Amino acid sequence: VAKLCVCDLLVAQCDVNCCCDPDCSAADFSLFTTCSVPIVTGDSRLCSQKAAIYSLDVEANPPERIFKLIDQVNPSVFCIHATNYKQALSFSSPEMPTSENFDQLLKQFGSASFSAEPDNWNMNTDAQNPSDVNETYRYKYGVPIQTVDAFLRLPSPVVSSWCSDANPAGFLVNQATKCIRSVSVEKCGNIQAVSMLFYINSSILAVPKSSQMVNITVQSIVVQSLNGMRTSLNGSDVLRLPMILDELCINIVLGVSYHITYTDAGEIIEAAASFVLGAINKEALPIQQSFEISFTQVHTKPVPLSGNPGYVVGLPIRAGFRPQGYPFPNTNKYSQLTILQSTSNQDCLAAQGARTPILFGYNMISGCKLRITAAMKCQPLTQTLLDLLKGQSFPEYVASFGNSQAQDVLDWVPITHLHTSEQSDNERIYNTFQGSCQIPVALEIEVKWTKYGSLVNPQARIVNVTATITTTTLKQLPSGRERTIPITSSVVFTDTSSPAEPGYKAWPTINAKLPFDFFFPFV
Amino acid sequence: LSSVPLQILFYVNGIYYIFYFLATLAMIVYKSQVFSYPDDFLAPDLALLFIMAILEVLRLYLGSKGNLTEEEAPLGLSLVITVGSVILSVYFLVWQTYVLKADVIINAVLLFTYGLESVLQVIAIAAFV
Repeated sequence: VAKLCVCDLLVAQCDVNCCCDPDCSAADFSLFTTCSVPIVTGDSRLCSQKAAIYSLDVEANPPERIFKLIDQVNPSVFCIHATNYKQALSFSSPEMPTSENFDQLLKQFGSASFSAEPDNWNMNTDAQNPSDVNETYRYKYGVPIQTVDAFLRLPSPVVSSWCSDANPAGFLVNQATKCIRSVSVEKCGNIQAVSMLFYINSSILAVPKSSQMVNITVQSIVVQSLNGMRTSLNGSDVLRLPMILDELCINIVLGVSYHITYTDAGEIIEAAASFVLGAINKEALPIQQSFEISFTQVHTKPVPLSGNPGYVVGLPIRAGFRPQGYPFPNTNKYSQLTILQSTSNQDCLAAQGARTPILFGYNMISGCKLRITAAMKCQPLTQTLLDLLKGQSFPEYVASFGNSQAQDVLDWVPITHLHTSEQSDNERIYNTFQGSCQIPVALEIEVKWTKYGSLVNPQARIVNVTATITTTTLKQLPSGRERTIPITSSVVFTDTSSPAEPGYKAWPTINAKLPFDFFFPFV
Repeated sequence: LSSVPLQILFYVNGIYYIFYFLATLAMIVYKSQVFSYPDDFLAPDLALLFIMAILEVLRLYLGSKGNLTEEEAPLGLSLVITVGSVILSVYFLVWQTYVLKADVIINAVLLFTYGLESVLQVIAIAAFV
């Protein structure tokens, strides 16, 4: 114990504040402030053990180190008096693998990441087949789509931007990936991944592990020229394979877009692929390929939902109109709630028409500057500003759930319109008496939403949408002068959920009824 | 005439041994949880404890019977078994895997009792012969 020193890290040099370091001299000790290791003992569970205590005597001048070797006694009655087991109180050193015990150690400590042979893969598939013959398989969300030889491939970048062909497409997982591939003009006919055949030759299995096959049809082919111009081809039945023409390699696949139609029973019934073919010359290597896959349920029109059922943060709010008529007709035109999009030049009148959809949960503010000259008339200016703030077709109803259907009129929330003025009421009345102009300068849309449903998985539901237009008085300018006023539009989402109330079970009641003939003689 | 101190000692020994057996068993369980106690060391300790219990029962029965019926044969057999018990007690005192201070204390008391009993047994045999 007297020779052990944990803080002695530097060989043949004195470590700072290490009182047990044998390389330190008395002069070094006088410079220390404390002892980083005050005591070195053996295992404290022993009844009596040696302890080396190091301390600094700061009162002496110069400070000196005090070293004491004492016997420390453990007062507990369960202290270890003696052991006959040599390794009892120290860490065991692991077995060294040799050629004799390697197999046994591998079996004991090997796991999936370090094992002798992955023979459990083969064993699993053999064992499953005889027993699950009668089970019907169907695709579930995320399950890789199987083709005749392997999986439907959607090349995507893995780790770096280079394409990896081993990425399977998952059922109902809409994906869009871009990756780069290196192609040389001389060998362009040999590289499989740039030829159309690679993407459509293996048929998709309609259900996993079955023999029903669905051929991939070519829906459309778009040819992209070297300068980027795209033309759509009429005859899309012909398979165009890469070939070398005048030092260019044409019919290289630059993009594939798969469209898979499925039934609600989890079967795939149709598959179509749209291609973008291009040409490369020696300068355009490597090429970028983009791949996309989307799924549509059979007999439905694909309507992008903004949540199912509650709104998902980041997806656009669905809004629409109710055409005049009673009872409610069944069609609503799907449009989006949009606000003005700020442009770089900030001039309201120059950037007409740029609008951005309102995404649920994202508060937005945008604006522009309006330059008013003396020549502007009130009424046209008011109308222009209203168009600017609200857009061409400002919807009347907003869907309260992300998947509200047009037929359910109760699921749609009407937009309430309010008008406020920037000045106080008195000023406004004074100004209207003067006959001056009120122009809208700000539009604030406040969307109140609440959490709906279970506590574990609350769904966002819109309960109220209020669009407030703020107007201000336009004072007449002397001719030749001009003024700039800011026009703003903003969207605010407010969570108005009431705090959750716990629901308790009803108290059990005593259900005691007398028998029917209890009062026999009298009833 | 039967030796009364010997009989008293047998009776007290019986009660003390029950306490000793439970305490040692509990401490072995405690040691196996707190310290590293591999199975090859745990098995002999437990086996010897149970053997010691059986020997003790036999010893006390024979000794008590011999003392009360004033026969020297059971008493002599009991003396021989006492030697075995002493060896086992020394094992638990010195050669056990972990010897705690409590182990030392209860084994020392047990050895002292055995010593006293042996002396009294020898005297009783001498008186009966």
